Amino acid sequence: MAKHGGWAGKVLRVDLSTGKISTEDTLEKYRDYLGGTGIGYKVIWDEVQAGVKSFDPANKIVYGVGPLAGTGAPCNGRTAITTLWPTCWPKALVASGHMGGQFAAELKYAGYDAIIIEGRADRPVWLSVWDEKVEIKDARQLWGQGIRRTTIEINQQMGPEASVAAIGQAGENLAPMSVVMNSYSHSAGGVGGVMGSKNLKAIGVRGTGSVRIAGNKEEWEKLIKLHLSLLGANNQHVVPSNPQPWAEHYNAGSRWMASAGRRWGAANPSIDTGACEPHNLNRIAYRTNNAAYFLGDKAWQHTVRGNGCTACPIRCHTMLKVPAVSAKYGIPELGQNTCVGLLFGRAFFKSFPDGPKGQTAIEACMVGMYLADDLGVWDNYGQLQRDFQALYYNGIFKRKVAEKEFNSYSWNKYEQGDPTFLFELLPRIANKEGELATALGLGTGHLLERWGIPEQEWLENHDLLYWKLGHPKHHSNEDAGQCGVIINTQYNRDAQCHSHSNFTRNGLPIEVQKRLAAELWGSPDAVDAVAAFTPMNAHKAKMAKWSLLRKELHDCLSLCNWMGPWVASPLKEREYRGDDSIESLLYSLATGDKKSRQELDTIAERIFLLHRALTIRDMGAKDMRTKHDTIPDWVFTDPKDKAAFSKGTIRMDKEDIKLAMDMFYEEMAWDKETGSPTKATYRRLGLGTVADELAKRGLLP
Amino acid sequence: MERQEEVRANILNIIRDRSESGRLISAEEILTELKRRGLLTSEEIKPKTHLETALKQALQENRDVKEILAPNGVCYYYSVRRLSETYAGILVLKSENPLWLIAEVVRENSKRYPRPVPVAGFMESPFDLTLEAILECLRVMGEDKEYQDIAQTITSVGKTFLYSSRHLDPDYASMLAEWLDVGQADNP
Ligand code: SF4
Repeated sequence: MAKHGGWAGKVLRVDLSTGKISTEDTLEKYRDYLGGTGIGYKVIWDEVQAGVKSFDPANKIVYGVGPLAGTGAPCNGRTAITTLWPTCWPKALVASGHMGGQFAAELKYAGYDAIIIEGRADRPVWLSVWDEKVEIKDARQLWGQGIRRTTIEINQQMGPEASVAAIGQAGENLAPMSVVMNSYSHSAGGVGGVMGSKNLKAIGVRGTGSVRIAGNKEEWEKLIKLHLSLLGANNQHVVPSNPQPWAEHYNAGSRWMASAGRRWGAANPSIDTGACEPHNLNRIAYRTNNAAYFLGDKAWQHTVRGNGCTACPIRCHTMLKVPAVSAKYGIPELGQNTCVGLLFGRAFFKSFPDGPKGQTAIEACMVGMYLADDLGVWDNYGQLQRDFQALYYNGIFKRKVAEKEFNSYSWNKYEQGDPTFLFELLPRIANKEGELATALGLGTGHLLERWGIPEQEWLENHDLLYWKLGHPKHHSNEDAGQCGVIINTQYNRDAQCHSHSNFTRNGLPIEVQKRLAAELWGSPDAVDAVAAFTPMNAHKAKMAKWSLLRKELHDCLSLCNWMGPWVASPLKEREYRGDDSIESLLYSLATGDKKSRQELDTIAERIFLLHRALTIRDMGAKDMRTKHDTIPDWVFTDPKDKAAFSKGTIRMDKEDIKLAMDMFYEEMAWDKETGSPTKATYRRLGLGTVADELAKRGLLP
Repeated sequence: MERQEEVRANILNIIRDRSESGRLISAEEILTELKRRGLLTSEEIKPKTHLETALKQALQENRDVKEILAPNGVCYYYSVRRLSETYAGILVLKSENPLWLIAEVVRENSKRYPRPVPVAGFMESPFDLTLEAILECLRVMGEDKEYQDIAQTITSVGKTFLYSSRHLDPDYASMLAEWLDVGQADNP
């Protein structure tokens, strides 16, 4: 490479114990790891010893972005934050959280590909990164403030262009169930307490530079247009939710909600989302309305617009205006978020007086967003709320919490679906007030241990969706049968992988999905229709490997895996094909380092392998198959006791899943017996020294 | 341009314009539109065969233009550049009997994707049926042996979906309805 493009070129390192601020050359040190989680895993492997705990000063936090952050590539606003995960139970292991918003781009414009935070400040501080001027600033006046106030205060100092990633009271108080958040609604869960343990309240970033595109500018423009043309709506749903004149297919379960007559009713003047014909790239932002998707038709009248990350036309954070909440709850009438963030408040309640999609449910969402996104409470992909319901309705709270404390909550309000209950609960979680709230703030695994509840009870309960290590499933068998199960065995928190579910939920007919699957993974049998699963085959293992590697690749390049990969599209003339090479095309043109799809996937495999090695090292175990890659019992059950592989069930078969894991390990060239990567695999992927280190510890198969 | 070619080009424009607005057009309507736009000479106005030949040729020469036969025997025309075959199919069914419209849409979805269809979907564009009309259709269907395959399933949050038992069995249909209505949103 002559002069590189894409990367900013420097990694910023800040030691909060000593106050030392330094930089290092990104490409010299991290080129083989691209960026994002790649830099994160590398730093943790090289610099954080096994046995370090999440809140120890010796733990580090790596805010990593990739070569595509801050470019014009669609959906590039993701920052990967890697650290030892405090909700990972029974011991902290490496994991990453991902926030969208504007932080990633701003960091690049300031000249950095990552920030490594180490040590612990002796008083509350915040980090100001303004191009090359980096300062550790006193945050005593911010300590105790919520995320919104903190963000505003720092923006007043750094200017409105600065992006501020801040923690709330939950993080300050070292509640493991806490987030860091930028741009008011873009959070990374699990990281808040780690920042709090370092006395780091926030990072404000302002950059006045730009990201260089190494390749031909016209080709780049053309590529961006191609990529935009392949986008569907959020989660890469490529068909609209109801019939449109241009559309051959439609699916009531699609997030492509736009349609003539469906209006953003709270915009001024209100806006008709219209037909959104896919070739009209200027209307992509009208396709998705996650509030209407999750909360029903009523949400249209409250919709102001979509909000989202840098360079992403999807705008999946729907902004709602609900005037009634000001008078009723004393909170602002505007709120915005997506998915579990949007549903944060609603999800605590079993029912509402006017039904699951009525006005009260919307108000519960508004209250939930207002509180959680200011206090910085995390919900662990909805596990907090599922746990809460189970613990209350099974009488466990009553048994575990002192009577006086238990009675201090208005349980009648809770049972009636009154959103004001959230004002009692969420601040207490953030401030660790009382046993109930403190236990909830620990995360599922630590809560169960604290209250002497066997994890097995959670592993057997289908409704709780709990998977392992204190975390829930994230797109498992319900989405993609064995492929989803395999993916959910691999990480140390919920898997956060959407490569497979974005494909299976894209809304195309099964015969089209099978045709595309044959091109991508070698056989139409790689995918099944939902709840009509067939026994395991090698192509499903290929799909699982591909899904994991693309997730890791996106996390390193700063592409949004809540959108990609883009292997299906809304385009009939392409027979609904997307482009499996879009990542490598973007990478090559942006950086000037020409890499084929396969070459880039190999780098992603190296990075994924390093994550595996870290997990093995820190667990001190090589038998990953039985100690780590575990599957909860509920996966093998069905509410109607329907047999696995019969139509209408997502139940899996134990023997078949054993075979699935065999095939996956084979596909990865890992040892089948232990599920540990072999020395040869480490060497093939350029991780020979990692293999040597593991060999010294007796951790190679 | 030869006169014949000119007529064909005008016909194509009319079909494509109509498709652009999300609607089909019949031969008769094309003729009316040609007249309205003043695009036919007085000799060309009368002979019906003249238009039919031009239309046929336009269809052969332009792969985007399609013909669809409505159950009442009338042929409609549209351009797939602007209007999909699926949508055209819905429009011709809509021009007929709502019973048929609902049943065919439900059968097609059950067979092809496969998935059940929410009843409320028929109240939206392009179906635009009222709830009363839909309920009446379902009542009549229940008594008509032609529609005995059209069945209902209700999700845990009370939303009714329709499916065809020719293509989905009841457990499978109810699982898929739950997935569409509740499961996907609960597993975002
Ligand atoms: S899809 Fe949503 S989360 Fe992903 S980049 Fe776009 S706005 Fe951000």
